Amino acid sequence: MYVAAKVDEEKCNGCKLCIWACPDPNVILYKPTKKIAVNQSRCKGCGLCAAACKRGALEIDAV
Amino acid sequence: MSKRNLCQISPGFEEIMPAEYRDLVERGPYGKGWGVAEMGSFKELIEEHPLCAGCGLALSMRLILVSLPSPEDTVVVGSTGCSALAFPQVALHNIHSLFGNQNAVASGLKRALALRFPGRVKDVVVIAGDGATCDIGLDSVLHSWFRGEKITTIMLDNEAYANTGGQESGMTQRGTVLNMAPKGKKFGKVAVPEIARESGCVYVAVTSPAKPKNMEKAVRRAVLLARDLGPTYVQLLCPCPTNYKFKPNETLDRIRDQEKQGHFRPREYYTPEAEAFIRQLEEAKG
Repeated sequence: MYVAAKVDEEKCNGCKLCIWACPDPNVILYKPTKKIAVNQSRCKGCGLCAAACKRGALEIDAV
Repeated sequence: MSKRNLCQISPGFEEIMPAEYRDLVERGPYGKGWGVAEMGSFKELIEEHPLCAGCGLALSMRLILVSLPSPEDTVVVGSTGCSALAFPQVALHNIHSLFGNQNAVASGLKRALALRFPGRVKDVVVIAGDGATCDIGLDSVLHSWFRGEKITTIMLDNEAYANTGGQESGMTQRGTVLNMAPKGKKFGKVAVPEIARESGCVYVAVTSPAKPKNMEKAVRRAVLLARDLGPTYVQLLCPCPTNYKFKPNETLDRIRDQEKQGHFRPREYYTPEAEAFIRQLEEAKG
C-alpha cells in the first residue's frame, strides 16, 4: 500500500537534481560520500525525484 | 549582526527536547548563509508537512525558506489557503492573518519592527496563495505597494482555490474546468506582475520551482531590495496535482510544458535604481 523512493547507489552521481525536486523537506539527504540517501519513513512517494533523475537511479517501489 | 548562538537549548533540557528540535539547533541554517546549492546537507526550516504528494506549492515553500538571505531576522506573514497548512511546521516567526489581510498585517509589522529593533535589519516576507494575493486581498496588496512599504510579497500561484475543492481564482487560465468550476473560466489570468510594476514595486519576478537556482536568485534579490528600496513582488507557478488531476510526478514537467506552450512566461522587471543596486550587490559578491 505504501510506496517510497529507493536509490540505486551505483547509478547515483550526487548531482542533487532529486533534492531540488522533492516537495518534502529532509527526505532526500546528501551524504558525505557524495551520494544521496532516502528517508523512506517520510517519503510520500510522489515520484518527482525519479522524474528529475537523469541517470535513472531512483525508483518508486512498495516499502 | 554577529553570528552568536541564535538557536540553543537551555542547559539541562538537552535530553527531553524533541529530536527535530535538537537537529535544528545542531545542523540548522541560522546565520550560516546557506542556499539551494547546499540543500540536503543541513536541517531545513520546514518540517514534515501535511500537503499532498507532489505539491508544487510545498516545493516552492521549501525553496523559498532555503533562499532567504537571513532566516534568523525574517518574519513570515501567511494567509489562509494550502500554504497555511504548512506554516505550523516552519521554524521561523510567522503570523497567520485573516484571509486577504496579509499585506496590511505585514505593513504594520515592518513599522513595529523598525521601532522595536532600530539598529537591526528585519525582513518581512509575505507568502500567500493566489486567492489571497490576487482575489480576496488585492486591495491590501495594492495599497501596500502604493504606500511603498518595504516588504516582499511572494505569491504561490497554483491557479485555483485548491484547499476548498477547486474553485477558479483570478489566476486560473482561460477555459480551465475544475471540480467547482464546471463551465470553464471565462477570462484569462490577471496580469498581477504588470500591475505590480505599475503600482510601485521596484522589483518583480515571475519564476517557478522548476529552476531552483533561478528562483533562489529572484527571492534573494526581492528580499534584499525590499530592505532598502521599496516593495518587491515574486510570483511562483506551482501546479496542483490534486485539483488539476495529473500524476504527482508530473508537476515539474507541467511547468516546462506550460512554458513551451507560452502559457507561462518567466520574466523580471526592475526600476533603474534596483538594477544599479543589483549590479552593485553582484559586484560585491564577486
